[in-house]
Amino acid sequence: MSDGQIIAGYLAPHPPHLVYGENPDQNEARSQGGWEQLRWAYERARRSLEEQKPDVLLVHSPHWITQQGHHFLGVPHLSGKSVDPIFPNLFRYSFELDVDTELAEACCDMAADMGLTTKMMRNPKFRVDYGTITTLHMIRPQWDIPVVGISANNSPYYLTTEEGLEEMDVLGKATRKAIEATGRRAVLLASNTLCHLHFSEEPVPPEDMAQEHPHDYEGYLWDMRIIDLLRQGKTQEVFEVLPQFIDEAFAEVKSGAFTWMFSAMGYPEIPGELHGYGTVIGTGNAVMEWDLIKAGLAQAAEGEPA
Amino acid sequence: MTVVAAFMVPGSPLPYVRRDNPPWGALADAMEKAGKALNTAQPDTLVVYSTQWIAVLDQLWQTRPHLVDVHVDENWHEYGELPFDITIDTELAAAAVSATNAAGIKSKGVDYDKFPVDTGTIVASAFLNPDNKHSLVITSNNVYHDWEMTRTLGRVVAEQAQSLGRKIAVIGVGGLSGSYFRHNIDIGQDRIASDSEDAWNRRVLGLMEQGDVAGLQEQCPAYAAEAKVDMGFKHFAFLMGALGDHFSSATVHGYGPLHGAGGAVVEYHL
Ligand SMILES: [Fe+2]
Repeated sequence: MSDGQIIAGYLAPHPPHLVYGENPDQNEARSQGGWEQLRWAYERARRSLEEQKPDVLLVHSPHWITQQGHHFLGVPHLSGKSVDPIFPNLFRYSFELDVDTELAEACCDMAADMGLTTKMMRNPKFRVDYGTITTLHMIRPQWDIPVVGISANNSPYYLTTEEGLEEMDVLGKATRKAIEATGRRAVLLASNTLCHLHFSEEPVPPEDMAQEHPHDYEGYLWDMRIIDLLRQGKTQEVFEVLPQFIDEAFAEVKSGAFTWMFSAMGYPEIPGELHGYGTVIGTGNAVMEWDLIKAGLAQAAEGEPA
Repeated sequence: MTVVAAFMVPGSPLPYVRRDNPPWGALADAMEKAGKALNTAQPDTLVVYSTQWIAVLDQLWQTRPHLVDVHVDENWHEYGELPFDITIDTELAAAAVSATNAAGIKSKGVDYDKFPVDTGTIVASAFLNPDNKHSLVITSNNVYHDWEMTRTLGRVVAEQAQSLGRKIAVIGVGGLSGSYFRHNIDIGQDRIASDSEDAWNRRVLGLMEQGDVAGLQEQCPAYAAEAKVDMGFKHFAFLMGALGDHFSSATVHGYGPLHGAGGAVVEYHL
């Protein structure tokens, strides 16, 4: 068996509006569409993922918040109905997912070995958060690839942003080692919005795109600056300005997924592919991909051209 | 009198799921004492404000007539489930939605199967209303609302209860000091994580016992900031609004650590 490797990472934000706009069978709420630019961005990302043929999808979600350590879904099969507490009118989604518990355990153990407090979530009645579910639906609506779900320890909020993100950096390194040790071909999903100030009222109907635009120009400029740097592969520069971006644009990347993913990938200085950008109730969302196979940093699946 | 009882209780699940652990068991015993006092006051409805029900857009009020399910806490999942069976006073909830909108705070009812009921509400309901004898009004903590807006919510819901002829018990669900242990501890040795926050908690509880409302109003902003109080102590703002800024004294049924953070069970005498 070949060594495990991370074959790609995606910035894969989780506004439930995207699921609502798509009208999948699993979601009770019905729409007339909306947020097409972002949904079509996800369609492009879905095609890339299909070609990458991962064994597992790992997702770090800001809406599973934990105070004591970093937690990992650890039940082989989870199902239920997830209702978004902020947008229950849009997102009431019946989910079923399989967890790669062996990899989850390995991540949990490795992160603990590297000094983090970690915990496996083994309660079968646990309700998976809507951030995890939205990101997973948008990237792979077939739900046929096992997942590892990782909580967002609230250290960036409880401690300083920098101290919290240092923990996410360690979590990323541990995740990489666990993937390598278990022989998985893994795709990482950072479930984060960029600028995050939002409108306080929903239009009627919520999918009225005539009302959708960036909440503020400053946030939009920040998003374009970050995306531009990412498209040029200037990863180090992005991480140098990340704390300022977080402070000034209230960016959701503060919760750690973005840092976790880049740390796991080794902060590669390779151009990210922007599949699309759009706002959701004023917040900035980019769907982006870092294909480590195409960049020569990972190997294609056997029998596949690189 | 409309408000016949008022309590502040912690929203942590630890006293409920691990009452065998002495520091947390003491708070569980205190919650049960509060539950007995509540029952004696014979309210029609319990009005619950929980810091853990986070709202962002509007002020949300639960309007589903019957909530029955099992919840697993996001952080303390290893200690088991939190079953709940809650009946909502939909008439009072609807009146509160209308009246808070009229008062300039945008409000909305939520009536959805599987809408996530927060841990704090479930724990408070389990201890204070174990047989589901009373109906509840449950409302959220909008993170953009300040002390004054939260006080207004409490005042408005009490006014609506009065106009509907309801006797209510008002319950602010939330913690005291906010520093906590981030890593695993010997839970049998749990203590308040910060000595200065412990001192702050005791000072504020002392003012409550004395019924020193003016002192509390003066001290609360500094307390909330310096002791990192759960959600700016807005659960107490809600209580003060519902009580018209008045209570004569209070009984602290329990005070203790919740993995380092502070929690107290307080009964306000009206
Ligand atoms: Fe989010």
